[in-house]
Amino acid sequence: MIAVALGLIAACVVVILAVTIFDLYRRPTFRRLAFRNALRRKNEAVLVVVGSLFGTAIVTSAFAVGDTLNASIRDEARTRLGPIDEIVLVHRSAVLPDVLGKVTAEPLPDTDGIVPMVTASVTAATVADSDGVRLAEPEAFVHELDFDAGRGFGRRPGDTGLADAGPTPRGAEAVVGQDLADELQLRTGDPLQVFVYGQVVPFTVRGVVPRVGVAGFHPGFGAQAENVFVAPGTLDALAAKAPRGAQAPEGRVLVSNTGGVFGGAERSTEVALELQIRTAGIPGVEVTREKQGELDFAERQGSSFTQLFGLIGGFTVVAGVLLLINIFVMLAEERKSELGMLRALGLKRNHLVRAFGLEGSMYALTAAVIGAAAGMGVGRVVVGITEGIFSQNDRQTTLHFSVRPTSLLAGFAIGLVISLLTVWGTSIRIGRLNVIRAIRDLPEPPTSGHRWRTLILAAVGLVVGGQLLAVGLADESPVFALVGPALALWSSVPLVSQFVPRRAAVTIPCGLLLIYVIAAFTLLPSTFADPSIEVFFTQGVILVFTAVVVAVTNGDEFHRISDRLSANGRGLATRLGLANPLARRFRTALLLGMYALIMFVLVFMSVFAAVFEAQGPQVADDTRAGYDLVVDSNASNPVTVAQLQAEPDVVAAAPLVDALAKFEAPDHADSFQRHFTGFDESLLARGVPKLSSRDSQYASDLDAWRAVLASPELVIVPSDFLTVGGGPPSSSVELGEHITLVDPAGGRRHEVTVAAIAGDLDPAENGAMTAARAVPTFVDRSIAGRFYVAVREGADPERVAARLKGDLLANGVKADTFRSLVESRLRGTTAFIQLLEGFLALGLIIGIAGLGVVMVRAVRERRREIGMLRAMGFPAHVVRRAFLIEATFIAAQGIVIGGALGLVTGFSVLSNSTTFGDKALPFTVPWAVIGLLAVAALAASLLAVAAPATQASRIKPAVALRIAD
Amino acid sequence: MPEPILVARGVRKTYRSAAQEVEALRGVSVDIWPGELVMVMGPSGNGKTTMLNCLSGLDDIDAGKVLIDGMDLHRVSDARRTAHRARRMGFVFQSFNLIPVFSAVENVELPLLVTGTPGGDARVTALDMLDRVGLGNRALHRPAELSGGEQQRVAIARALVSRPAIVWADEPTGNLDSQTAEAVLDLLFEVHAAGQTLVIVTHDRAIGARGQRLLQVRDGRIVADGPP
Repeated sequence: MIAVALGLIAACVVVILAVTIFDLYRRPTFRRLAFRNALRRKNEAVLVVVGSLFGTAIVTSAFAVGDTLNASIRDEARTRLGPIDEIVLVHRSAVLPDVLGKVTAEPLPDTDGIVPMVTASVTAATVADSDGVRLAEPEAFVHELDFDAGRGFGRRPGDTGLADAGPTPRGAEAVVGQDLADELQLRTGDPLQVFVYGQVVPFTVRGVVPRVGVAGFHPGFGAQAENVFVAPGTLDALAAKAPRGAQAPEGRVLVSNTGGVFGGAERSTEVALELQIRTAGIPGVEVTREKQGELDFAERQGSSFTQLFGLIGGFTVVAGVLLLINIFVMLAEERKSELGMLRALGLKRNHLVRAFGLEGSMYALTAAVIGAAAGMGVGRVVVGITEGIFSQNDRQTTLHFSVRPTSLLAGFAIGLVISLLTVWGTSIRIGRLNVIRAIRDLPEPPTSGHRWRTLILAAVGLVVGGQLLAVGLADESPVFALVGPALALWSSVPLVSQFVPRRAAVTIPCGLLLIYVIAAFTLLPSTFADPSIEVFFTQGVILVFTAVVVAVTNGDEFHRISDRLSANGRGLATRLGLANPLARRFRTALLLGMYALIMFVLVFMSVFAAVFEAQGPQVADDTRAGYDLVVDSNASNPVTVAQLQAEPDVVAAAPLVDALAKFEAPDHADSFQRHFTGFDESLLARGVPKLSSRDSQYASDLDAWRAVLASPELVIVPSDFLTVGGGPPSSSVELGEHITLVDPAGGRRHEVTVAAIAGDLDPAENGAMTAARAVPTFVDRSIAGRFYVAVREGADPERVAARLKGDLLANGVKADTFRSLVESRLRGTTAFIQLLEGFLALGLIIGIAGLGVVMVRAVRERRREIGMLRAMGFPAHVVRRAFLIEATFIAAQGIVIGGALGLVTGFSVLSNSTTFGDKALPFTVPWAVIGLLAVAALAASLLAVAAPATQASRIKPAVALRIAD
Repeated sequence: MPEPILVARGVRKTYRSAAQEVEALRGVSVDIWPGELVMVMGPSGNGKTTMLNCLSGLDDIDAGKVLIDGMDLHRVSDARRTAHRARRMGFVFQSFNLIPVFSAVENVELPLLVTGTPGGDARVTALDMLDRVGLGNRALHRPAELSGGEQQRVAIARALVSRPAIVWADEPTGNLDSQTAEAVLDLLFEVHAAGQTLVIVTHDRAIGARGQRLLQVRDGRIVADGPP
């Protein structure tokens, strides 16, 4: 269906462009009319172009954000990997020579570099100064690498980051990465201490290498490369004295494909396969297509951001379209006599449409060019804010603003298409004028013709709507389940009008539709269980359109209010202010739609953010199982329970085993690399982590946890376990589902069953939870470096966490309270929602600017009326106030409609449906935020209208009336 | 002898644009007495409408003075001039200039409301006035639903409803067919017969001939003032 719609749009655009080009060359009259009308009133032309460019700007900015994400992640492939395309990870470095021998036994096709590397995770620190103060980085890596081999890796030394690194370090020499040098303020010749394998090893910094290529490679998750390069053999010697439980140094064979930094990834599948064949049978070896994975991730993230911002921006684009229609309708009404005269002179209706359309096309083209440029500016701002959000929690993220020419062209083209379709659609409507009425500037009478055609179309709409609903329910397609009833109920209006008064005929079906669309998530839980952002877009547009129609149809009620207000003569401005919006319903509806649509989404998102923020303390309590802190330590020097319990204020510690595996589920095409965590009885000693749902065979949460502890075949997973991206869980696993756990090294497979679903957030990022004793049977490598820690009653967990980090620096301890982990995760989500709200606020600006533009035109259009009022003795301030009241009336109505819909929908979707998890979320209304939004929107609207209102009040009656002899 | 309602002395008005200056009024002096029916005639572009605008205070003047009820119209603030206009003047224009979003009665009651008449009283008076112009049954219709003649009668009702001292009518029949124009003129003469001071600008000699006093305007000056 989407393909058909796109095809129709494309066909329309082709026809429009063909007609435009033909008219431009072969119809000098149309051309003259279009050009001269555009140039006659330059200010008006500017207003139209401004109204049209928003759509292009929004679309282009969405592309720019996506491109930037893509380019930045791709750049990470250059800085973190450089020539590295595949990595053969060897869990124990002792096996590395054997693996290297197998890999290099014969020339490896399509490659231009193979180099071994040995790595261990460490804590790196400066030497304490006289006050005992030192700088430390607990998540650093020590690498052993032959610099000469590294430089030759991939044939382009510049890409390796080692071009100027000098010879391989010897003895106590260390070459540090730029990130670590910055972090610890290190310079050449400075002493450096490394805490690894229970020892403190002194080094002297011999040089600093940039974060590029091999020199920038690290196996961690952060963007920074906290690297220390040391002499080969150092780590094995240190590991010989490692404490029990420490993870042996890892070996890696780095492989570079031919084709350069980015082109090499194209050969990755074949090369990785060959590597797997050559290393088959060696235990503890994983082959990863590192570069290809990074580039695929870049592409996915880029397009996901383009889609997200594109759809959120869609609301703004719709607001822009409404503004454009409004401007063109006003333009046409202003030129009505002129258009009627042209018809009288012999121009056919389609000629009129084409002449008007040609003029509109000029505006659309100009707007698309300017809009594309403006879109890059908007995109840049969004990228700046996104960078700030991504850089929270000690992670520094750099986004490189980038827009592909194809994206710029696409933004321009989409914006142009939106404007062209709007302009030509409006022109066709304008073309349907009665010559005499147009010349005499008389309003069109209420439509009485085409009755049968309307009824037939309505009946067709009713049937098609019903069919769409049936398809939606059968296929569990939420968009069809929304569009179908909307189409059917809208279409029912002309039919119902045959039997009941118009007001009831509109209000009843539209009221029913509003109730259905708001409650759809509750009424049809299975259909709306997995909604994408398109569903929210569709829901928003339908709700706002319907509510605006109801409001405008019942607008007469305001007449009574205005009559009562003006009864004593003091409410005259109110009467004047309300008269026009109540009389010109179509235009009012367009303006209301703009405001209501944007306010709806802003309020909905504010509610969304508030509901999630309010969860924080409860989520922390639900997940902590009576413990207070999550403690992580270095794999090469893990902290022990005894060490933790020896710390002041620590009363208990539950050890956890962390591992990585690939998970496959029946309903998921891809496999997902995810953490999983092993626990023992001690986790349940102080409480039970709360579950959001569990298999019915377990009477309590504790029973479910105990069952998992007893059976290696069972797991508990977080609700968003196998999902990708944000928003509501889009493809998670379900209770009782069998999922397969695959060891990345060797490919061992184990089937496990989901016994329960944990809470909505996984603050410690444990992933799937399983019995600790089962972990070694699942995967070759795991790390026993994580703990839940309980502090003495009355002790401040934050202080204890800070003390643990200092006391256990050698173990690279990171300690966080559950509360801070939850808040940090929620903060990221909230900040991202705020970013989207900021992006949406552009739509509000369109609404406000649109109101200003419409008022400017209204002043022009109503000059004679204003002149007459002034002639009758209406004071200037009454005229000014009337315009301000008109704007306030429209803006306030739009704000109230949008705000109310946002609140009700927020309640329905978040707290009264299972869309965001089985547990009902506590409904929280962010009154302060909503109040601020409403007041800001209203104040800005008044500000935008202040100038035209003042202009109206200054009109001289004689000039306005244009009384000429 | 009563005092004149309006005294104008040496009124001058020049329109200026970037390209040229046009002296539209070149020292107009005139007195208008209560109950008079004054016709203003002259060729197109000779200053008739400008004279109406300047004498009624709708437009500013460059020199001279216009006294209405003893108040120099162009020496007071715009607010006072506007308030005075609301209380003492009514206007009828060629193109009716009704407020399109208001019904006939709502249009007619506007001058009453602006001078502070309570809403209920204003509505009663407006309906009564519409009855007087023969449109009692069209009171709730909007201008678009009325014929040209009906619209002009609503405009006349609106001009008269606040019982102004003087009513200015600029080509009141210019947009109407002859039959409707005749009916509108009859209405205006009827109003005048009831004691209303009327100043009618027209280029139609036949209409001009039906006044008590005829002012002939040429090149921005009153070149003749007397019976038609």
